[in-house]
Amino acid sequence: MPSQSHISRRVAAAAVSLVLAGGAAACGPKDGADGAGAAGGKPGAAGAPQKGGTLTVLNSEPQNDFDPARLYTSGGGNVPSLVFRTLTTRNREEGAAGTKVVPDLATDTGRPNADATEWTYTLKDGLKYEDGSPITTADIKYGIERSFAAELSGGAPYLRDWLVGGESYEGPYKDGGKGLDSILVPDPKTIVFKLRKPEGEFPFVATQTQFAPVPKAKDTGAKYEEHPVSSGPYKVVKNENDGEHLTLERNEHWDEKTDEERKAYPDKIDVRSGLDSAVINQRLTTSAGPDSAAITTDTNLGPAELAQIGDNKELAGRVGTGHFGYVNYIAFNPKVAPFDNPKVRQAVSHAINRTSVVNAAGGSALAEPATTFLPEREAFGFTPYDHFPAGRTGDPAKAKELLKEAGFPDGLTVTLTHSTAQNRQTSPEVATAVQQALAAAGITVKLEGLENNAFNERRWDAKNTPGFFLSRWGADWPSGGPFLAPIFDGRQIVTGGSNYNHAQLDDPAVNAEIDEIAKLTDLAAAGKRWGALDKKIGEQALTVPLFHPVYKRLVGKDVKNVVISDWTGVLDISQVAVK
Amino acid sequence: MSIALERSAPAPGAVPPGAGAGRQVWRRVRRRPSALAAAAVLALLVLLALAAPLLSHLTGQDPGAYHDDLVDSARGGVPLGSFGGISADHWLGVEPGTGRDLFTRLLYGARISLLVALGAVAVQTAVGVGVGLAAALGGRFAGRLIGLATDVMIALPMLVIGIALTAVVPPDFPRPLLLILLIGLFDWGGTARMVRAQTLALRGLDFVDAARLSGNGTLRIACRELLPSLAAPVITIAAIKVPTAMVAEASLSFLGVGVKPPTPSWGQMLSSAQTWFRADPAYVLLPAGLLFVTVLAFTVLGDAVRTALDPREGSRLRVGTGKESKA
Repeated sequence: MPSQSHISRRVAAAAVSLVLAGGAAACGPKDGADGAGAAGGKPGAAGAPQKGGTLTVLNSEPQNDFDPARLYTSGGGNVPSLVFRTLTTRNREEGAAGTKVVPDLATDTGRPNADATEWTYTLKDGLKYEDGSPITTADIKYGIERSFAAELSGGAPYLRDWLVGGESYEGPYKDGGKGLDSILVPDPKTIVFKLRKPEGEFPFVATQTQFAPVPKAKDTGAKYEEHPVSSGPYKVVKNENDGEHLTLERNEHWDEKTDEERKAYPDKIDVRSGLDSAVINQRLTTSAGPDSAAITTDTNLGPAELAQIGDNKELAGRVGTGHFGYVNYIAFNPKVAPFDNPKVRQAVSHAINRTSVVNAAGGSALAEPATTFLPEREAFGFTPYDHFPAGRTGDPAKAKELLKEAGFPDGLTVTLTHSTAQNRQTSPEVATAVQQALAAAGITVKLEGLENNAFNERRWDAKNTPGFFLSRWGADWPSGGPFLAPIFDGRQIVTGGSNYNHAQLDDPAVNAEIDEIAKLTDLAAAGKRWGALDKKIGEQALTVPLFHPVYKRLVGKDVKNVVISDWTGVLDISQVAVK
Repeated sequence: MSIALERSAPAPGAVPPGAGAGRQVWRRVRRRPSALAAAAVLALLVLLALAAPLLSHLTGQDPGAYHDDLVDSARGGVPLGSFGGISADHWLGVEPGTGRDLFTRLLYGARISLLVALGAVAVQTAVGVGVGLAAALGGRFAGRLIGLATDVMIALPMLVIGIALTAVVPPDFPRPLLLILLIGLFDWGGTARMVRAQTLALRGLDFVDAARLSGNGTLRIACRELLPSLAAPVITIAAIKVPTAMVAEASLSFLGVGVKPPTPSWGQMLSSAQTWFRADPAYVLLPAGLLFVTVLAFTVLGDAVRTALDPREGSRLRVGTGKESKA
């Protein structure tokens, strides 16, 4: 049950301006694979990266609640992973290789028992905090326990769902020193997790900041976020206005021999936030003074900025392109007529004009038309299918035929619910493109635009879900599981809180297959089955996948070693050099 | 104009009531070339807005039709061709991302922008005159209470309430009407204060006393004696309020609480154009320029009407400088 609100917040920041600068993709066929960026295969300045200098980060969203218990991250986050090391982490490599889990504090990615309900980790030698004291597994256990405290809320819900006794544990401040029994620490180097059910993807969750060590003696509760104790290459020297301005400097006790993932080239990192996305992109474009050594970890290039970069090779060479696991789709609630009729849902699927929709989302450089729910990356188990082909611009004739069969020979009128947020995902632009395409098939679409919070409440309210609306989903880690389980698992239907199973599908066969795949620790095998499950569920036309976004971001002139993985879709701050 | 003015003496030389005043005002307005130009621009705009369906038929363009082939999808959807994709079919180019025809969208947008602005001002004026008269002619207590209510209305932030309101009104409620009511029912405070002050001033004049002495009731005096005299200042303030209402519509649409897509309005077009000012300047300049010209025209015209009704202008006429007195 990923808290989608958080994902959307993180991604939305980027999406607000979906700015991707075109880079190679933007210049497209005309320029060939072009620009300076393509020369070395990477955007940014040429030459071998060296240590030293100050890296500036220009962001719109502040690093609020900079406490490992409270951060909701995918793979440990970008800025947070500079300060917090975790049991495992994401592989800091370009493209598909970057979707792998690799060891971080631990010597491996975890040793499961036979049915993947118990996971054992051993710490590497020579791990130290910023004060030189040794990191122990007891501190990792304590860090996880803290994340259960009500006053330190914000993290992902997986630990509460998965750990034995997690659902009723209230954190270390209220347990009278007993701790959580399902986390065992037989010695300072070993830690064992006992889960309620098989979870083959546990190593992915162990990348989240909740798995960072927190020394009990240094814990100041809700104030810990002001100066969290670093286990990574940088320590927090200043945190102003709850993460608005963060100054990070080298942690002298971090030993690069124990950390194969983080390169940590700059001596100092200055994270500034609260900036308008247009300002961030303008500053990166100009790249003057300290901005020449600047990046952003939350702001994409938007369509207008992309158009402006146009033929400028110098700028295009500084644009990084990435793919984050995300899908924008039309959701149906089959409890609402006429969407209870599969033929109507199929008709809508056939009528969609994905060219208009992609243009509404910012054009072909920023969005890829999608016919599958899973993103088109191997790690997610992508299996191609197009059950209700609409071609590039829709097939209104086929749609009309289906409507006739469904008993609507004269067409019908439906309401499409969307948000008024300017995110180019669930926004009026996309809704209007859908409206226009369906008009050709004789479906009159009335638009119901809701303010973003009201919109989210509405679509997550199982009792009041609209029949036909724009939705989106991003995974907490690159796998088919966190994509399909929250959306199609019948046991994840929540009536009191946030429900993401919009169609309220409760199919025993689907539920059973989700459980079966969760038992697999061979992720490649699991991926194939997630893909097959996606294809199977797709036959029911419960969603119309619209597009998978592409992220494009600018870096300053002097920024080197830009690495963009398919896990995050954006550059990895731990690899960046400014000298 | 504040409440402190209530005890001020009647303005000397105020334009007297009656049909003659209207003609006199028109004569004075007519001799200002700027006012004439403004009136001509507005007349043209209204004509174009009314003829929108005819003109879009003439160009063969539908304001809602997408033209995916006219935009460069790989470059964020910027229109192909120069000056925002101007062509024989699309006289003012096309919208980035969708390729919708800008000429017809601007025409249809003018309908919404003008309709909302004029409608809202009509509502403002009706409410403002009613409240102002009631405040001046009602009892002392009622006057205070209405004055207080007026102050509260003036202090309320319309945009914030507008955003909240659009979230709760039923989705089927026509948005242009909602905008008219919202802007109209919020921004009448100034008119009410002005009408109250003027009424208090007029009330002491001989012709009102005469009417009262002949046994006329308050309502009759208000309608027969006061309203005609109030016409001039009310017309002035209404003319000045039109541009304000247009900007309010644009602001609400800009914030996404105006008319619903795909219906175009200038404010909404500006809103979606804001990020394009570098990449496709034509897209921003068209609605911005039209809004600017319209607001300017209304302001110039409103100012001309105000000047024509200005008592000082009147007294100068009466005293005569030769040239003026011939008017």
